[in-house]
Formats: sequence, structure tokens, C-alpha cells
Amino acid sequence: MTAAPFTPRLTLRLGRFCYLALNVAVVVFLLAPIAIVFVFALNPTAYIQFPPVGVSLRWFEKFFASRDFMSALRLSLEVAVMTTIAATLFGASAALALARGGLPGARIITAIMLSPLMLPAILTGLALFQTYVLLDVGRPLWGLVLGHTLVSIPYVVRTTLAVLQNFDTRLEEAARNLGAGPLRTYFEVTLPLTKPGVMAGAVFAFIVSFDQFPVSLFLVSPGRETLPITLFNYLKFDLDGTIGAASVVSILLAVLVVFGLDRTVGLRSYAKL
Amino acid sequence: MTRLPLNRRQFLATGAAAGIGLIAAPHVARADAATLRITGWGGKWGQTMSGELIPAFEKEFKCKVETDSAFPFLPKLQASPRSAPVYDVLHTNSNEQWAALEMGIVEAKIDAKQVPNIADVYPYAVSDKMVGVCIFTSAIGLGMRTDKGYGKVSSWKDLWDRAYDGVRGGYVIPVNSLGQAFLMMSGALFGKGMTDLDAAYAAMEKLKPVKLVDFTGTMEKMILSGEVGLAVIHDSGILRYDGQNQPTTFVAPSEGVLSLEQVLTLTPGTKVRELANAYVNYMLRPNVQKTLAESVWYSPANSKVKLDDKYNEKLLTTPEKVAKLIQPDWKWYNARKDEIDSRVNRIFRA
Repeated sequence: MTAAPFTPRLTLRLGRFCYLALNVAVVVFLLAPIAIVFVFALNPTAYIQFPPVGVSLRWFEKFFASRDFMSALRLSLEVAVMTTIAATLFGASAALALARGGLPGARIITAIMLSPLMLPAILTGLALFQTYVLLDVGRPLWGLVLGHTLVSIPYVVRTTLAVLQNFDTRLEEAARNLGAGPLRTYFEVTLPLTKPGVMAGAVFAFIVSFDQFPVSLFLVSPGRETLPITLFNYLKFDLDGTIGAASVVSILLAVLVVFGLDRTVGLRSYAKL
Repeated sequence: MTRLPLNRRQFLATGAAAGIGLIAAPHVARADAATLRITGWGGKWGQTMSGELIPAFEKEFKCKVETDSAFPFLPKLQASPRSAPVYDVLHTNSNEQWAALEMGIVEAKIDAKQVPNIADVYPYAVSDKMVGVCIFTSAIGLGMRTDKGYGKVSSWKDLWDRAYDGVRGGYVIPVNSLGQAFLMMSGALFGKGMTDLDAAYAAMEKLKPVKLVDFTGTMEKMILSGEVGLAVIHDSGILRYDGQNQPTTFVAPSEGVLSLEQVLTLTPGTKVRELANAYVNYMLRPNVQKTLAESVWYSPANSKVKLDDKYNEKLLTTPEKVAKLIQPDWKWYNARKDEIDSRVNRIFRA
């Protein structure tokens, strides 16, 4: 009698190895472009070159010394913060109403709330631009924030709804039975338990707004351009490591936001969604 | 001690009025200053304009200038009402100006009575191939590396030499005006003229393999890095590295160079027509033209401009040099753009 070529233990090991290899391949695929950006940002030559010929911070110096880039970075951050607040307040409230409000046509309303994800953002930007022009309000900052909020709300609604759908409503009932009013129940029971979904949505809203390009294309006002628009305009006339430096700064900012989420909510709670 | 003639209520009211006046005064003062809304390029052009020329214009004409440098310009202008256009002066290349004229969102010609400096421009700047007025031009020709041992390049047709397979550079024609002008030139080189599209398409097939880019800035970098050895490019894209010891040179082909024009037009609904005309006139002033020409290596349209020797040698600053310019017929091209885009996409997708 010959031994089976694959024992259960060997099969398990092989399976784990393949699973690990697949995960490593996916991570490499996702991170490789970011690694290239880092290389480009640190390369001292005035054009993309691989392999790099040295390490230099000249492009970071140029980025941080540039009035246009710094102004754009500040504006992008301002708009992202305002968008995050607006999208989170509106999106979370809407998700609560949709999950608990017993609204007629809740599914249709949910689809409408998520529809900005299906529409090309450039059309949203163009439509808003035309609306502002017809209303004769120009291209104000609030108009830009409104545009960003429109395309960010679906993310907050989606993540908050996901948490609410798994929510044990008996906890709220228990609180009410013990004498807590609706507001107290909301702030002391509902909100803490839905926080992972709301915070995850807020993080998405921040990142979507900070990186927003097609909506901003039409809504930025002269002399006040967000970072993605400034980068795009810079690309048309120059292609040097400053683009790489700006990209590295944006990536590090996103990493910072994720760390912030970990500190406030905990990434495990986020991973449960 | 003498008492003030105001009681407390009167004092507070006077103080509030003074406070409001103090806050409102700058706004009132600014409200008198007209605002001119223009479009402009970024890069070195934008730096020179915002750093020097626009502040000087604002001071001289006591106005505020808002420069939109965020592309795209035409869709924004098109989306705004004709009676209240989002720009007063549109600065873009000829191909877009003709498209804008077709849409009725820019005026065909500049009023020479309101822009006296227009009398000094070269004929090409106000020819029948122009909308508005051309303030600068570049020459589209060939850029090449000088350290790769390539043979002598003197003709457009050298670009099709098989020796340049793998290092030939061109543009994504649907989105780049240099690529579009080059396509028309190919019809003239291999066919009956610039409108011979069949010859042009056949030439594009034979041009492959070719590295295509969207922006001229990218092509500049590819030539500098050596990824491209011979490419279609405007003279400014090579000359701006003058004095930096780069192994690159610009070749003006024997068949002629194509013009890449920087054009200004007024919008029909502008509410600051006088100021808009003053701006066009200002941009045609010899000193303004000299500053910009020497900053970005563009050839000035004003024939009275005297550039420093270094620039004078290489830019188109005499009637003889300017005579070599070939102006594409953008009105003709734009009427066929969809069909052309579709065809070239099929050629280069393969």
C-alpha cells in the first residue's frame, strides 16, 4: 500500500502558503506604484529616471517653498475638513432615518442617496457650475464644499447603514425601559455603537474630498485651486520630482488619517464593517 | 472737566456707525475697481504674469485681474450665459479659439481702434487663419538628442526613418494641438496638401512604433531623460533649457515650421470691454512682449520688439524668419475633428 502524496497536514501548509503568497502579491500590487512615487520624489534628476541616481530632498524643498502648492494644500485641507463635517452630519442622520424611520420608499431613497457614486463626478461638477452661474453666485468656497459633500455623502450613508443593519435594537429598548429619553438613548447608546461606521464614513469622506479632481475642475475659483488641480496644471507645463513630493505628502496625510482612526475608534472596529 | 455733548446712547450709535464704516471702507473702495477675468497658463508663463506683468497692469489701470489657470477653459465659458461670461478675455491656442468662435462665445476680431498696438504685429498674427489676435507664437519642428550618434536631421520626413524606431516621440492627437498640426503636416509631406487626410493617416500608420504623450511638458522630459531621441516639439520646449548643458537641439525642418499660436479674444458679453481691450493692447506692448518672450522663449508677434541677442538668434523675430511659419487651417480641422479622432485612435490603438 503506497502513502498518499498529500497528507492533511501538508495540504493545510500548502493552502496557507498559497493564501499568504496571494496576500503578498495583492499588497505588492497595491503598494508598488506608491513605492515608485517615493523613488521619483527622492531622485535628484529633473525627470523620471529608474533606477534613481541618488537621494535628494530638493523636490520637497521646492514643494514646501512654493506659494502655489502651499496655498493649494491649505485649501484642500480646509475643504476636506468642512466636507467631512457636512457629509458626516448629513450622511449619518440620513442613514439613521433610512434604517429606523420606517420611511415609505426607503430603498428608493437609499438608492438616490448612493447615486452620486454611479454618476461620473465630472458631470456633477459641470452641473453644479452651470447652476452657480445661473444663480449668479460665482464659484464660492461653499459651492466647492457642497460639490465635495455631494460625492462624499454616499460613503457615510453606506458605512453607517452597514453598522445599523447589525445593530441590536434591544439595547435601545433596554435604555428606554430604564428611563432614558430618546436623545439620551441616542447619545449614550446608539451613537457609541454606530461610531465605527460613522467614523469609517468620515475617513472616506475626507480622503474622497482631499483627492477630489473632477468636481473641483469646474468649481475652483481663479487663484484658489485645490492640490489635485494645481498638480494637474503643473503637469501640463512641467514634470519633475515636485509632483512626486506632493504625492508623497498626500499619501503621508492619508496614512495619518488612518492612524487617527485607529486612535479614536480602533482599526479592528473598522475592519468589522 | 468738560462733559462730551453725547449721551451714552448717542455715543454707542456713533461708535457702531464708525465701526461699520471702518469694516466696509475697503469693500467700498474695491467695489470701484473693475475686475478683469482672464485665462492663463501655468509654469514659467504664469510665474512671470503673476509676479510682474499682472500687478503692473492692475496698478496702471486701477483694476483687479482674476486669472483662471485651471483647465478646461472652453467648457466653463460655454456653460456660462452669453450675457455674463465667466471670462472677459480668453487666452488659448488657435484650435480652441476657432472652436470657441464656432460656438459663438468669442468675437472673431479685435477692434484695431481700441488696440493700437495691433498695427505693429506681423501679418500672421491677424491673418484669415486667426481668430482674435496672436500675441506670441512658437515654431513646431523636431527636437532631438545630440549625444546618441544620430545622423543629420533636416526634414520632417527624417522622423519616419527606421533608425528612430523605439525612440520616436509624438502626441495623442485628439488632445494635443501639436499632434493635430503634425497630422495636417503629414498630409502635406506625403499627399496633396494639409487637407489630404488619407495621406496623413497612411503616414501615421508608417510612423509606428512611436511613444505618444498628452502634454508637451512630458515630451520635454522624455527627450531630457533620453527615452525619446527624436520628437515633434515646439522650439520653446528645447530652447528653455539653453545654458543648462543639455544634449538636445531644435531642428527647423526644411519644409517649414508649424505655428503654435498664443491667441487672445474678447467674449461678446464682457461688461468691461474697455479694460479687456486695454489688456490686449498691454500684452502687445514691446516691453511686455520682450519680458514674456525672454522668460518662456516664445516669438513675439509685435514686429517692433527688440530681444537680447541670445533670444534674437533663435526666435522668429524678423519678417524673413516669420515667413517660414505654416499656419494650420484650424477651422477646417475642427469641422472634421470627431472623424479624425476616431480614425487616429484606431490607428494607434493597434
